[in-house]
Order: sequence, then structure tokens, then C-alpha cells
Amino acid sequence: MADQIILRNVTKRFTTKTLGDIVAVDNFNLNVREGECFSFLGPSGCGKSTTLRMIAGFEDLTEGEIELCGRLVSSKKKNLYVPPEERGLGMVFQAFAVWPHMNVYENVAFPLRIQKINKTDIDKRVREALKHTSLTGLENVFPGDLSGGQQQRIALARAIVTNPKVMLLDEPLSNLDPKLRETMRFEIKALQRKFNFTIIFVTHDQSEAMAISDRMMVCDMGKIMQIDTPENLYNKPCNRFVHNFLGESTFISVIVKDGKVYAKGDMTQPLDLAIPQDAAQEMVVATRPNEIALTGVSDGGYKTHIEKRIFLTDRTEYLVPVGEQVVKIQTPHRVHFAEGEACCVRFLEPMWYPADDGKADQERARRQLV
Amino acid sequence: MSRNMHADMAAVDGRRRINMDKLMTVICFILLFIIVIIPIFMIIYNAFFFEGKFELDMFVTQLTDSKNLAAMWNTLKIALFATVFGTIMGVFYAWLLGRSDIPCKGLMRALFSIPYMFPPFLGAMAWDLLLNGRSGYLNRFLVSTFGLNGMPFNINSIAGIVFVEVSYYFPFVFMQVVSALERMDPTLEECARIAGAKQSTVIWKITLPLVKPAISAGALLILTTSLAHFGVPSILGYAQGIYTLPTRIYAVIYNSGGSFDGIRQGAALSVMLVVVVAIALVLQKKILSTGNYDIIKGKSMRPTLIKLRAAKYPLLLVAVFTLVLIVVVPLVMIVLISFIKAYGLPLKPGNFTTAQYVKVFKASGTMDSIRNSLFVSITAGVVCMFLGTLVAYVVQKIRPKGKEALEVISVLPYSIPGTVLSIGVILAWSGSLGIKLYNTIWIILVAYMARYLSFSMKTSSAALLQVHSSLEEAARVCGASHTESLSDVTLPLIRPAMVSGFFLIFLPAMREVTTSILLYGPYTRTLGVQIYSLRDAGMIPQAAALATVAIGIIMLLNAIVTQITKDKKGV
Amino acid sequence: MANVRFENITIKYGNHCVLKDFSLVVDSGQIMCLVGPSGCGKTTLVRALLGLNKPETGSIYVGDRCLYDAKKRVNVAAEKRNIGIVFQDYAVWPHMTVIENVSYPLKKQRRPKDEIKRRAMHALEQVHMVEYANHLPSQLSGGQQQRVAIARALVTDSDVVVMDEPITNLDAKLREEMLLEIRMIQKRLGATILYITHDQQSALQLCDKMAIMQQDGSLCQYGTDEDIIMRPANRFTFEFIGVSNFIPIVREGKELCLDCGEKIPYTANLPADCEGKEMGVRLNDVVFDRDSVLKAEVTSRIFLGSEYNYFLKLGGREIRVQQSMLDARTFGTVAEGEKVGIRFLNPHFYDRKEAAQ
Repeated sequence: MADQIILRNVTKRFTTKTLGDIVAVDNFNLNVREGECFSFLGPSGCGKSTTLRMIAGFEDLTEGEIELCGRLVSSKKKNLYVPPEERGLGMVFQAFAVWPHMNVYENVAFPLRIQKINKTDIDKRVREALKHTSLTGLENVFPGDLSGGQQQRIALARAIVTNPKVMLLDEPLSNLDPKLRETMRFEIKALQRKFNFTIIFVTHDQSEAMAISDRMMVCDMGKIMQIDTPENLYNKPCNRFVHNFLGESTFISVIVKDGKVYAKGDMTQPLDLAIPQDAAQEMVVATRPNEIALTGVSDGGYKTHIEKRIFLTDRTEYLVPVGEQVVKIQTPHRVHFAEGEACCVRFLEPMWYPADDGKADQERARRQLV
Repeated sequence: MSRNMHADMAAVDGRRRINMDKLMTVICFILLFIIVIIPIFMIIYNAFFFEGKFELDMFVTQLTDSKNLAAMWNTLKIALFATVFGTIMGVFYAWLLGRSDIPCKGLMRALFSIPYMFPPFLGAMAWDLLLNGRSGYLNRFLVSTFGLNGMPFNINSIAGIVFVEVSYYFPFVFMQVVSALERMDPTLEECARIAGAKQSTVIWKITLPLVKPAISAGALLILTTSLAHFGVPSILGYAQGIYTLPTRIYAVIYNSGGSFDGIRQGAALSVMLVVVVAIALVLQKKILSTGNYDIIKGKSMRPTLIKLRAAKYPLLLVAVFTLVLIVVVPLVMIVLISFIKAYGLPLKPGNFTTAQYVKVFKASGTMDSIRNSLFVSITAGVVCMFLGTLVAYVVQKIRPKGKEALEVISVLPYSIPGTVLSIGVILAWSGSLGIKLYNTIWIILVAYMARYLSFSMKTSSAALLQVHSSLEEAARVCGASHTESLSDVTLPLIRPAMVSGFFLIFLPAMREVTTSILLYGPYTRTLGVQIYSLRDAGMIPQAAALATVAIGIIMLLNAIVTQITKDKKGV
Repeated sequence: MANVRFENITIKYGNHCVLKDFSLVVDSGQIMCLVGPSGCGKTTLVRALLGLNKPETGSIYVGDRCLYDAKKRVNVAAEKRNIGIVFQDYAVWPHMTVIENVSYPLKKQRRPKDEIKRRAMHALEQVHMVEYANHLPSQLSGGQQQRVAIARALVTDSDVVVMDEPITNLDAKLREEMLLEIRMIQKRLGATILYITHDQQSALQLCDKMAIMQQDGSLCQYGTDEDIIMRPANRFTFEFIGVSNFIPIVREGKELCLDCGEKIPYTANLPADCEGKEMGVRLNDVVFDRDSVLKAEVTSRIFLGSEYNYFLKLGGREIRVQQSMLDARTFGTVAEGEKVGIRFLNPHFYDRKEAAQ
């Protein structure tokens, strides 16, 4: 598969009155392959939307260049800039952005009318697009009378009607309710299979990104953290941020002393963990709530007790103190402990990260203010 | 749901609460009946009834009078042209300041809102001085410089009236559209770009249709205001015998020396004017209801500004020129004339004096007029602030049967031309109902209260809507009685809105002339009336001097208001 | 601390009867979650407890104190009931600082100044908001405003604290944190909390006991979390508490069959009396089993971090499956297009829904 979208050394700097210079996008390099569903994932202010808007042509680059379908569309060096209307993209926005003064049919027909296509062709293609988005029969309705889900379908129909090779989706599902969000996810995938376009999907919702993407880019504070498949990102996160951002995480602050690992706040019993070679004195051990074994006292491990049991539909959660922290453990219903009962925990295959100094959080909060 | 919840509260508090609610509701209805319904009823009654008998003759005579028909025709012509040009100008500058990268935006926006607070009849005065068909300063200057045969401009014409009205009324459209453009979701335009449309196509096919409701709301505001406007046509039109309905009504009453017959004729003309305005209002409802959509969605994003590139500085020049023409020139002219020894003398340093100021303040009535205006404006402001809040509370929170009627009644007087309202007030309070307020300051006050009540009602209403019922309920649950929850929570929360409601009434009342021109008596001139009559009596430099003072007062007050509202922003 | 008893409450709005003969007990010192779809009348019930509306019949007691009794004509005024409330929209007063908000209930009790200050600060400590005491609510985030509201509800040592969807307006991570915090505060103070929500997930995370209300305003189950999940009283509870697959059961000759477009015989695994009913199975109760007679084809597999989601085709019917990581480790995952054997654990049998639904 060929690379369809290429970003080379793309950087975007803003100057704001309150905070001075902000590097919104710092030297992004990435290739999105043809037919791929590629997600930009990160908290707000991480640069994902800015990157998308640069690809769409709504923002200038400060440095670097962007190539779309083998054609250079933005380049700072060559002073080249192709306006959005000539990039041949499809795009769907978070706020639906369907035109309230046009009915459903006219909304979808608009891109074709701009291209001055003859009437019968327009009609044929609009009806086909409406069919694929389950909007047939609503042609003459105005968007104001439709639900959020239907409005987003109009936006989708309008984006696919020109048959673009690349589809940019800017948080298209975040204004919908959770149930609808899931259905729309499947619909988008089905449309992709049918029309065979490449998707760039921007979201801050990790479960949505994992469910829909072939590969994804996790970024934070204007920097790319990691690019990989959802499974690899989840199982082999390159740093603590990625670990925390994808799925549920459990972090335990530990102290390494005399070749043994102690949970912070409890120097009486060590945790049974292999210490990595470069471990500092204070470290963080990271794992997932469902990768902690919860057993009876006889089975060995860190001895503690059940603080609270939470019975959920598909699993039981236990809150268990480890040192000065309370750790959440997820188990199937069949693992049964009563509140207050003694138990043992073991961490299966945890990751090690340096202790957190809180600076990153401060910086993130600062960037949110922009 | 909230309706239910309110029903809850009433049920819970039992008799005590119901009585308090009922009391407030009854007070509202009674006050509105006295202030609003009686004058309106009196107009209709007197137009069609004479000495208790139905009589159509007078109405038909008035309707077929050629002078009146001409006045009606003029009114329509002026209003239509003012609306068309005002709208075009308003939309153009709104787009320029709201969506393009033209420099000095903040400053220009501030300047563009000046005509909004500047009394139009002072502008008319200034332009009359400059471009009067016989003696305008600018006209004479142009004749002598270019050796022309006749005066190049004549402001005393329909075109002149339209020009002056446009320059004061275009901000209605401008302000509406600018705020619509700023709140509009920019992705609506962006996805048209993605769909392949060029910038210019996007403006025509997307942006303009989307702000159409704002445009038509502003345009119809111009239309109704112009239809009812007295100041500009009276100053510019009288000399040439150009009458509009409001000036005609004034003339009829003035010429009859305030006799009852004249007032009845005025009432008949008023009915005509009201019909015209009503048609415009119906039109407004029709147009607005078909295209009112929600364009303010999504996360707030700075809209992408359109680069004007080469057109940037020429357009800036056009904007600056417009500002100079409509703001600076009239202002400077009035100030200059106020210092001239005698009207007609050339504007040379030797002809300047401050004597006019001394004269005007020595003249009988000047200080009285300032005092009267302050008294009437402040009193009307304070009374309306409380009354409007009371009505708003009844409408929003108590929601009795007939609250829609309450709402309509309180807004009604503002849709009625000031001239018409004055006639109603005269008819109602000149003794025919046993109360005689004519020739006292109180009759002006009653008219102002009716006219401006809707201002404070609307601001308080909007503020009360923001006070969610759970805030009051939380106070109840925390141990506050119903009265305490009102005084501890609700009132403090709407206090800023009440204060701004006061200023919304106080400021226009200070410069008002349309209503008071028919109501003033020998000792109850208002500031506007005093300027108007000085000018009418030919004492133009003195009128200009007083106008300068008035403008000074208005600007000072505006500055104070801005300062106050700035402080309130934190809440 | 005291328990709360609603006895035979009937509330009408006009002709519409919201609650009819409704009775419920909230045990002292516990968190009781009242869960139901929006519009089922749970908020109406709470408003009756607070004294913000008036039931037609019935009585309300907090401990031994009668707050309302239609027959005895007792109706304690809202401001005298001594119940704390946290609203969904926070309802902190925007013109008062944090400390003023929290002090207000004490002021209304005319307590001495130094006591007000001490107790207000103590309440702020409980919710970790001491350093924001002099901020205005507009300077706080949604989560912080809700903490202020909680402190205000706790400050008078109310007999009961009512929380009406207090976390709905917060984002997912913050919601979880707040739940934990509410739980810890409750444990420290031993308060009785009546917690109203439409979100069963958060209710399960928080509650000691749970009561489930149906759309028509009736109570359909009351019990511990485990009761409700493992032994749902009816189809409504079963569906309300989680997503499930439903398969109709039909008889074909002697065999009981799963109706999946084609009819698949499954008599051995079905109780005899289930003909004409529908079998409901939770997504995580569909497990892969190579030896099973039921073979389904995997149409899609989605990795969600803590679990895999599958869509299977069983005959003509779509079956959804949630596979926990633990099961994925022991059984392994299956790929799209693969045929796999499946088994249903813990099936529940209910009457079919009307065609209209």
C-alpha cells in the first residue's frame, strides 16, 4: 500500500498575548497509507486538531511540508499553499456543520453543484449517498428538524458524495450519545469498506480510537508520543503518558531499596517484582486493573485486605490498599471475596516508569488556557 | 418540567405563597392597565367616537385629505429607502469588521456604535447647517470654490432625510449582524470550502443566508423606527413642506393650538400610522419565523479571518471616510456653530465667541430643561427598573394564566410610535378621566414609563431565565424561607441586569424629543424640546451650544455606564 | 443519622399520576441508589422528601420524625427539614464565594460566627477545597463546584443527604474520582445518602443497596448489587442493568430450538418450560468453547484494551460477545472469518416483548 498522506517536519507555532509562543505542533513526521483508518489521539491541546486543520488547508504551516495523494499541497520552503477547496478532501466536523438553510438533499448536492455536474448525475449520486447513510425519504426535511445522529449522517453523506480519496473526521462522534456513538462507528467503517477511502480520525476518546483504527498516533503537548496499532500501543506503551491514556491504568509508586521493591508507605513487606537494571530509588510500577492477580492468603503475594467490593454487570471490582495507595482490581464474578477479607495481590508483567514530578500536568494545564 | 416544579412550590407553601403571588400578579395587571391600555384605548375611541357616538366622518376626511396622503407616501418612501440603504451599509461594515482582517477593528467598532447613542435630530441639525439648500456652509463653500451656479446639495429633501436617517440607523443592522457573524460556527463555512466552494461562493451561498435572520431583524427595526421617526423629517422637511405622518400629526395639533379637535385629528392620523407600523411588524414576524435557525454550535473557535490582501487599505479608507462623514463632520459642525457670533457668518477665527453659551444658559428654561430631563429620565428609569422586574418575575417565575397577555402589553408601547403614544397620554390624562396632568411634568413621566417599560422588562426577564429554579430551591433546603431565598439569592443575581435596565431607559430618555414635543408645557420643557424650540425660533447658534452641552452629558453618562458594566463583568 | 421511610406515596401532576402508592426504606448510615430511566418519577420522589412538592397520599419519615403525612396533615416546611441536597447542576450561588456558600445553611440556623467559620472550613476540608474558600464559583471547574455543593450539603450534619445525579455533568475520569470520594466521605461521616441516577454503572460503583424504578413509577427491585445483577426480578431490570443478546425459543417437533433465522436444536441446554420465550444472555456470558454444538462465524473483532468485542453470526442472527483479557489469555482470541463454538452461561428466560417494542 502506498503512502497517501505524508507529513514532513511539520511544525506550527502560535503567538498568544497571555502565554507567549506556543509550539502547537512540534516537528510531526508521519505517513498514512492508502485505505487505512488512522487516528490522531490525545488530550485537548495536544495538537491533533491543528494538524488536521493543516492537512485540510485551514491553517498555514510554520515549517515543513504536507503531501496528499502524491501531490505537494503545503510547503513552507517552496511557499506553496493549495486552498482547501482544491485539495479534494471529505471532512466531517464535531458540530455537524450541516447548513440549516438547505434541506437534506441540497446539503448533499452542494459539493456537486459547485463542480457544475449535470442535473441527472447529481440526482443519481445524491440519492446513492443518501441511501448509504440511511437518509432516503428525508430529502426535503431541514436539518433543524432532525436528531443529532441524523445530522451527522447528512454530514457524512455530503462528505462521501464527491467520492474523495481521503476523509478527515474531526471528533465526529463526540456530540452524540453513547449508544449512537457506537452504531455510527460501525457505519463509518462500513462506508469506508464500500467507498474505499483513507480515514484520518481525530478524537480524545481512547476507546473510540482503539475500536475504529488500524493504526493511531498518540500525541501530547504538541509532540508525537507513539505511532502504532491499537494492540501494540496498549501492550507496549513507550512511556507513562501513553500507558495512562489508553485503557485503565494502575500506577503504584514504589521505593527500591537493597534490591527489593516496596510500595510507598509500607516498608514491611516487599513486592515480588524483578527490578530493571536502570531503576532509580523512586519509581512507578504500571499495570492494568485486570492484570493484577487477586488470590487467597495461602497463594502468596503482597498481603492486604479488601477495602470495597463493587459488583458490576460484567465483572467485579475490588479496591485493595497497597502501601498508602488504593488499587483497583477487576476480576470475573467467579472470583469472590467479602469486604474486609484478607487476600494477596500479585502484579503480572508490569511496566516501570520514572517517578512523576507533576511538571507535565502543569504544562498541560497551561496549554489548555490558550 | 419547570412548570410542574413551580406548581410544586405553590402547593407546598400553601395559602401564604399563593397570596403573595396573586398580589404581585394583580399589581402587574393594574399598573400595566393604567400605563399602557388606557392611552391606547383612548386613541382608538377618539378616532372613531365623538361625544359618545360612533362617527366615521372625521376619520374618512383625514384619510382622504391630500396633504395627509402625501405625508403617508413620504413616510413610506423615506422608510423604505432608509431601510434598503441602511441594511446594505450595515451588512457591508459588519462583514468587514467581523470577518476580514481589516486593521484597527476595536477602535472602528467603538466609533461605529457612536451613531447609536447620538440623537438623530442633532445630526439633522448639523447637516442642515452644512447642506441647507439655501444657506448651508458646505454648499456655499463649494459654490465659491468651484464657481458653481447653484447649490450642489440640498439636504432639505427626501434624499437628504434618507441620508441622515441611514447614517443613524444602519447600526441596528450592523450590530445584529456583527454579533451573528461572531457567534456563527466557523465550521459551517469551512465545510463549504472542503466541498470545493471558493471564498466568494461561500459568502454568497453560506454566510449571507445564515445571517439572514439577523439582517432582517435589523432591517425591520430600521423600517419601524423610521416610520415612527419625528426628529429628522421635522428639522429637514418643514422648510420645504415635506411632511411625514409623525410630523404631520405634530403640525395638526400645533396649528390647532392644542384644541380638542386638533387632537382628535391627530388621533385619526395616529391610527393610520399605527396601521402602517403594524403591517411592518407583521411582516417582521413572518420573515423571522421562516428562517430562524440555530447557528451557534460547537466549541468556540476563532473564525478564520478572510485576507483582503490588496483591497485592505482602500477598504480601510472607505471605512474611515464613512466614519468621518457620519460621526465626525456633524459633531464638529455643531461644536463650531455653537461658538459662532451669529448664524450665517463665515467660519473664521474672528467670528468665534463663547457668548452663545452664556446666552443660552441665561435664557429662561434652559436650566429647567436640563433639570426636567434629569428628573424625568431618572424617575422613569427607577420606576421602570422595579416595575419591569416585577412584570418579568411574574411572567417568568409565577407564570399565572394570561402571562402572555402581560408580556405583550408591556412590550406594546415600544412598537407604537412615540407621537401616537403622546396623543394617547394627552387624551387619557387631560381630565377626560378625571385626572388632569396636562402641562405638568408628570404627563411626560407617564409617557416615558409606558414607552420604556419593555426595556427593563426584557433585561430582567433574560436575567431571571438564567437563575435556575434549583438555586432558589437549594436556599430553601438550606433553611431559608421563601422571602429570604428571594432576597439572598434571586435579587442579588439579577441586580446587574436591573442596573443595566435602568441605564437602557435613562440614556435614551435624556435625549428624547419625539414624545415630549407634544407633551411639554411652558415650564416642563425637556432638553430635547429646548434645543428643538431654540432652533425653531431661529436661535441656531444657541441651539448648537445647548446641543453641544447635551452631547457632552450623553457621552459622559455613556462613559460612566461602560465603566460600571465593566466592573460587573466578574459576576 | 437516621433512616428514611416513604410510605404509600402518591403524587400527581394534573391528571398524570407520577407515583402511585410508592413505599421505600433507606437504611440508616448507608448509600442507597435509586436508579431508573429518566422520567420515571425518581426526582419527584426526592422533591417530596425535600418538601418541594406535596404528595396526595402517604407519609414520609426521617428516623422518628414525621416530615409529611397526608392523613395527619403534617407538612414540615422545606427550610425546616434538615436534609442536605446536591443538585445535578450544582446550584452553587454564583454571587457568593465558596465559604459564603458553605456557611449559608449555618447562618440560617443563626449559629454563632466562630462556630459557622469552624464548621464551614471543616466541611471544605472534607472535600479538599480549603484553598479555594475565597474563590467565586465562576473561577472553579465543574468538579470543584460540585465539591462545594457537597460541602454545603454536609455542613449542617443533616440527617440525610440527597444527591440528584450529582456527577452527570462531569467528564468520565472525574466522575469515577468523585464517586470514590463521595464513598469515602460517607464512610468517614456515616451519613445516610439517597443517591438518584439514571446511570446504573455509577450506581453499582457506589451503592450499599439499590432500588430500581420502572418507567411507570413503580419499584421493580430492591436489593444489593449482587441480587440485582445475578437475580434480576424481571426483564426490565435485566435489560436496564446491562446489554444482552436475546434469542427467541421455538418448538420444532420434539426439539426446542433457538430461532436464528434457521432453527437450531438446543433442547439439552434449555429448561422444558421455555417454549415461546426469549433467552437473554449477557455479552460476557457468551463464551468460546470448541466442543459446543453451536458454531458461529466471527464477523468482526475489536480490541478495546481491557477486553475484546466480537460480532458473531449464529445462523442469521448477530450475537455480540465480550471477552475479558483473562479469557483471552486462557482460550486465545479468534480472528475475523473464523468459525468458533460458543456456549451460553447464566441464561435468563423472559416473555417476548410486544412486536411494537
